[in-house]
Amino acid sequence: MELKPDPRTLKPQLSRRSLLAGLAAVPVLAATAACGDDSSGSDGKTELSFFWWGAQARADLTDKALALYTSRHPEVTFKKTWQANQGYFDKLATLTAGGNAPDIFQIDDNYIAEYSGRGVTLDLTPYKDDNKLDMTKFPESLWKYGEVDGKLAGAAFGENTQGLVWSQTLLDKAKLPAPKTGMSWDDFISWAAEVSKATKVPGTQDPSAIYQALWVYLRQNGADLYSDNKLAFDESHIGSWFSLWKGARDKGACPTPDVIHEGNATDISKQLVVTGKAGTSWVWVNQMPELKKNTKDTLGVMAYPGDPSAQWARASMYFSVFKGSPHKDLAVDVLNFLCNDPEAGKILGTDRGLPSNLDVRKLVADTVTDPNMKQTIQVQNDLGTKFGPTSPTVPPKGHSKVKTELVRIAEEVTYGRQSPQQGATAFVTAAKAAIGQS
Amino acid sequence: MTTASTPVRPAPPVPAEAARGRGGRRRRDNLSGYLFLSPWLLGLLGITAIPMLISLYLSFTDYSPLISLGEANWVGLDNYRRMFTADPSYWHAVRVTVIFAVVATPLKLAAALGVALLLNRTLRGISLFRGLFYLPSLLGGSVAVAIVWRSMFNREGAFNSFLGWFGIHGTPWVNDPFWALPTLMLLAIWQFGAPMVIFLAGLKQVPGELYEAASVDGAGAWRQFRHITLPMLSPVIFFNLVLETIHGFQGFTAAFVLSGGTGGPVDSTLMYTLDLYIKGFTQLDMGYASAMAWVFLVVVGLITAVLFSTGRFWVHYSDAEER
Repeated sequence: MELKPDPRTLKPQLSRRSLLAGLAAVPVLAATAACGDDSSGSDGKTELSFFWWGAQARADLTDKALALYTSRHPEVTFKKTWQANQGYFDKLATLTAGGNAPDIFQIDDNYIAEYSGRGVTLDLTPYKDDNKLDMTKFPESLWKYGEVDGKLAGAAFGENTQGLVWSQTLLDKAKLPAPKTGMSWDDFISWAAEVSKATKVPGTQDPSAIYQALWVYLRQNGADLYSDNKLAFDESHIGSWFSLWKGARDKGACPTPDVIHEGNATDISKQLVVTGKAGTSWVWVNQMPELKKNTKDTLGVMAYPGDPSAQWARASMYFSVFKGSPHKDLAVDVLNFLCNDPEAGKILGTDRGLPSNLDVRKLVADTVTDPNMKQTIQVQNDLGTKFGPTSPTVPPKGHSKVKTELVRIAEEVTYGRQSPQQGATAFVTAAKAAIGQS
Repeated sequence: MTTASTPVRPAPPVPAEAARGRGGRRRRDNLSGYLFLSPWLLGLLGITAIPMLISLYLSFTDYSPLISLGEANWVGLDNYRRMFTADPSYWHAVRVTVIFAVVATPLKLAAALGVALLLNRTLRGISLFRGLFYLPSLLGGSVAVAIVWRSMFNREGAFNSFLGWFGIHGTPWVNDPFWALPTLMLLAIWQFGAPMVIFLAGLKQVPGELYEAASVDGAGAWRQFRHITLPMLSPVIFFNLVLETIHGFQGFTAAFVLSGGTGGPVDSTLMYTLDLYIKGFTQLDMGYASAMAWVFLVVVGLITAVLFSTGRFWVHYSDAEER
């Protein structure tokens, strides 16, 4: 910048032109100055970014647990971000694309194969082997559910299983019996039709679009959703599944198609059993407390109809560490703390599922005070005794698309735009395309 | 363009020395000019031009947001081939989008013109009315309006309660595969404020003498509208048509919010841009989504070009004739 002396004061003075030119350059300089920010400051403190989906209750518990870690390791702080499930994975993908994936993030079996296959998640195997991430107290099937192609892509954080939730309040009004674990699909549908007739509230949400219900049904019929990264069912299975529910709708056991669609599209807080638009909802057992928060009704929970041994202990979600994180070891240590520390376990309770560490699980079962969590633990432990010997492996890449296609095609059938048979053909084709099976 | 107060001075002859100095100053002027431009220029390059070129490159790859650009594999025209031959949802989305644009755009323009005609008069408080009719456009692409729309046109929504007063049993509009798209169109049409304001400005430009002359000749209101208003307004109609057509094809926010990001029920509101978003960000097939974006750009460009070429036949520029 040129400085001209003012003839009157002899002080250097900016010419108008150079002042303006200089001002114009400011944003450029500011932009360059903003680069080069370092997350682990020179004062020896480290900030780990931590990202999860969930509701307010989960956020409160997670905050508390992480604060406990910081109190023991004052040099470690957390940059916490959370949001609702809807849009979570869009956001995570965008962060990853920008090279800004969080150090630690929550993920589930819809995406873990995709993220692991693309090399986003850190392989935790070496940490597990030297017990820096202690999984010795995990049930084997549970930690193995985090393995994708031989790499441990995430630490299973919580165990759950399918849970069919019904409104006891609704049944009491009409003095109807509660449904029972182990009842056949046909008996269940007759029961639901009776509920509809007696209460004028549709007896059950139609689960034909709900993948985990279809999954149980397949396993009860000698098939599975996937095996060896291929579809493990055929058109006849899907055809009879869609027909089963077409029959149920014709009997008046289910709501109208638009309400079914509403139930399929909504998040956990507006499930039909909560909004009073149906007598049951098809969820996961650990979601009970969240459902209860949204209704005054008394809720009951049981296994999905049919033989309960087709259900399995599933990792409800995982925590993964970003492979590109500058603080991998530290991030793993935080995971280890969250999985295995008794105090952290007591804080987190069963919000993400039953604790993976069996000792912690027992401790939580003995000390938990929240009645909803208590019920979750009891139901899941009961169901756990009925599980069969085999549990599915992690779904392959493209699983989230398979789920989307199931919703779309099942709804085509519920709206009566396709017959169950047409829907079955369409779904098998679409699901094959989704997982890249020729 | 001269005014009386500043007479034009003949330029004095410039010595060679001074001319060079002036050239140097011009370069400096240019420099500060560019510096002034820089916030915009950097934005254009950094946020629009360069990403667009990268996305053109990505459209020939199998890029996923989970990998780095360098790791993406070149797949040639595969994405384009798949789009045109092997992706049923693509053609479905094209159909939904074309129906949306072809139905909603003319209706929106008609509503805008109609209301502009009503508001083109001097009444007490007329600017209040203009403001009120413009209001929906201010709320425009907002998520909040779409959420309100969704609850209004639900089974238990306000609209069905309203119908209930007349004993009509409405359907669950937004959850009905047939009615979901028309509900979306209605939302777009309701936000006619922007073209309306432009129409109003256009109407004010029509010389009043023309109407006087026409009414002396015995032309009624309809003939005046047909033979004076429409031709005089045609450049503005053309402008609005081009803008709103492009807008119509780009509709995203309302479809996203109304369907919870799925394009449902049963893909009835799966607009092109929504399908693109799902492919890119939910299914992580960003290379394919980039290819979709480029086809979209080219097609919307072509449609605009076609509109421009038809303009010759019906757009009437009054000043061109005066010359």
